[in-house]
Amino acid sequence: MSFVYLAVLLVSAAGVLVVDRRFRLFVWDGPGRAAAVLVAGTAFFLAWDLAGIGLGVFLHGAGPYMTGLMLAPELPVEEIVFLAFLCELTMVLVLGAQRLLGRAAVREDGPR
Amino acid sequence: MTYLLLAALFLVVAAVVAAVAHRIAARRAGPPGTRPIGWRPVVLAAVALLVLTAVFDNLMIASGLFTYADAHISGLRIGLAPVEDFAYPLAGVILLPALWTLFGSRRAR
Repeated sequence: MSFVYLAVLLVSAAGVLVVDRRFRLFVWDGPGRAAAVLVAGTAFFLAWDLAGIGLGVFLHGAGPYMTGLMLAPELPVEEIVFLAFLCELTMVLVLGAQRLLGRAAVREDGPR
Repeated sequence: MTYLLLAALFLVVAAVVAAVAHRIAARRAGPPGTRPIGWRPVVLAAVALLVLTAVFDNLMIASGLFTYADAHISGLRIGLAPVEDFAYPLAGVILLPALWTLFGSRRAR
């Protein structure tokens, strides 16, 4: 049993959440709204994963970095954490890009 | 071809749901101060996500975290990563901002 992969995921997620909080981008802009997006997004990706597992596409690896805790055949607990992290990262990148582009546009216009 | 078809299916689902969400949100009034997300931030985020996916998917596969049944994937890979894996971040960057826009809109009174 190893917590390496899970730890890497959680540290990465913490990093993204720090950026989210610092710039009030997503969760810190509207927590209820963000929670709904995270739940819906994670459920969407989970359905995709389960379909792939059901069709025999995905195979859990026997590598040394996972806890071995399985939520379902071929579905490790780390996968849910990864999918939620992917959703958070996506929204922070999109809203962060929107914020940056908005600032760039303001600077081009110059002071009024 | 199974994984390729599966990826295409979920991409289509994401695009359809996103289109519907944008439609509904456009008809409603948003709270003051929120703008819908334009295409530029989405494209920028998508490029970043695809690069990150290329790097980390390869690392994860090389670490032995998971493998794929050769019979079911197209065989096209970026390094070790099947191209079908890139459909996940692509679907996410299409679907999630659309849902966020929808959840931020209010029914017109």
